[in-house]
Amino acid sequence: MTIVESRGQVPGAAQDVPLIEARGIIKHYDGFSLDNVSLSVGEGEVVGFVGKNGAGKSTTIKALLGLVKLDGGEGSILGVPSSELSRPVHAGTKERIGVVFDTISMPGHLRVADVGRVFSHAYASWNPRMFEQLTHDFDLAATKQVKELSRGMGMKLSLACALSHDARVLILDEATAGLDPMARDELLDRLLDFVAMPGRAILMSSHITSDLERIADRVLGIDGGRIIFDLAKDEITDEMGIARCRVAEFERICASGIIPEGQLRYRKNDYGIDLLVPDRFVFAENFPNVPCDRMSIDDYLSLTLKGGVR
Amino acid sequence: MKRAYLMEMTIFRDYIKQLMGVGFFVSIFVSAGMGSIVAAPAILTTMFFMMGCMSASAYDEQSNWGAFRLTMPVSRRDVVLGRYGVIVTLGFLGMAAGWAACLLILALGSAVELPFGLSDAIAFDEGMFLGAVFSTAFCMALGSLIASIETPIYFKFGQNKTTQWLPMITVLLFVGPMLIINGTGILDNGSMSFGNLASLLGFIETPVGVATCFAIFLAFTVVVLGISAAVSLKLYEGREL
Repeated sequence: MTIVESRGQVPGAAQDVPLIEARGIIKHYDGFSLDNVSLSVGEGEVVGFVGKNGAGKSTTIKALLGLVKLDGGEGSILGVPSSELSRPVHAGTKERIGVVFDTISMPGHLRVADVGRVFSHAYASWNPRMFEQLTHDFDLAATKQVKELSRGMGMKLSLACALSHDARVLILDEATAGLDPMARDELLDRLLDFVAMPGRAILMSSHITSDLERIADRVLGIDGGRIIFDLAKDEITDEMGIARCRVAEFERICASGIIPEGQLRYRKNDYGIDLLVPDRFVFAENFPNVPCDRMSIDDYLSLTLKGGVR
Repeated sequence: MKRAYLMEMTIFRDYIKQLMGVGFFVSIFVSAGMGSIVAAPAILTTMFFMMGCMSASAYDEQSNWGAFRLTMPVSRRDVVLGRYGVIVTLGFLGMAAGWAACLLILALGSAVELPFGLSDAIAFDEGMFLGAVFSTAFCMALGSLIASIETPIYFKFGQNKTTQWLPMITVLLFVGPMLIINGTGILDNGSMSFGNLASLLGFIETPVGVATCFAIFLAFTVVVLGISAAVSLKLYEGREL
């Protein structure tokens, strides 16, 4: 049984009906474009979205939510085209979408209890008890004003809101930024509980890739407005490796042909060369004397974006 | 629309309380200072229409609230109509605060002797009452006109950009009609003689005249806000957040 199946998803459903989908999204701005961005998030999946600042993560999320007009392609959430999400007829669909942006997206003078009131007017499915419980668990005093909250506490408030209206999909843009390690740990547990229920999915952009290593099923990388990789997380963290080699060893590995030409990614550092190894077990059999560590998402992103190709 | 309206009213709740309190005391001091209740409800009505429009836009840009709101189960249409609902509510609350304060000062004036001959000055008088009703209705029309012009601009450009252009827009708003009147020579060519003007003013001062004017100004308010809402809907549909 795969991780996705263990989260209550009907096998095969992820491929059949994506809950979140982008098909060739194109959006032009002065000096930046989203270029043919395609992605999909199926039922039961947690998909991590990584990339540098300004790579296009937030713009892609805005495009999916229908906040910007597209120059090409199409996005959809829960089967509703992004361009139609803002129509009154699709309010019911938006009831099922939980969104957290990278800032506390509420006017600063509101108190935590007022935020609950605003959401209770917006969502027919609002669960005040759940909100009360979450704000209690997150140590958010009902009388505290939004502007008095630290970034981390603000993100907790945003997450409490997103988790209190029976959402089916969560779209989180840097939602764990500013949270302390214990709060992040607790939050990730809650997200895993969320996605364990049938019919749910999460798209989560983050610079904290250790969070994604813990909960993501797949990782999407974006750079310069283009998707540069879309891989199962296990493929990166379990199969791939990063070989720490000297120049002579590097040349020997290149000559061996174990890594196909044109796919050999490396990065020079003060002590030698780091080399991206697609299968660290096969590599270890062939080069037992070359240390090969597990690959992290950070290393993969760094090698993909900054590394040389040979 | 109801959802968006209730969300905005929740956001505005504390602000409305403050405004009502301030407006109430401003009305008392304006009435006492002028020795008349004619101006206070009118001033507050215009002020609240304008403040509803401006402060709602200010909240939109706080913490990206305007964009986040559209991820909630409200449409752009709901947001626009809810906003106009809030502006009208605030305008009428301003009117209510102004009148409540004036009625209080009238009651006080008739119950006790106020200093500086205020009791005599603000004693209930039909002419002053009609004047207050007329000026309130006129300022309702004026306030709604200003809100009707500014709100679509806020919806199109957001608060920051609009604030840069607002002084020029306001100047054009008030100078423009003067230029048109002057340029067309409507006052010089006898189409509006002093006789006509005097009889018009005489009619306005009667109870029927005030009631007629109130109805006309109310109709104007409804029409101008309706046109403005239609323009705002069009502009906000195309806005990228």
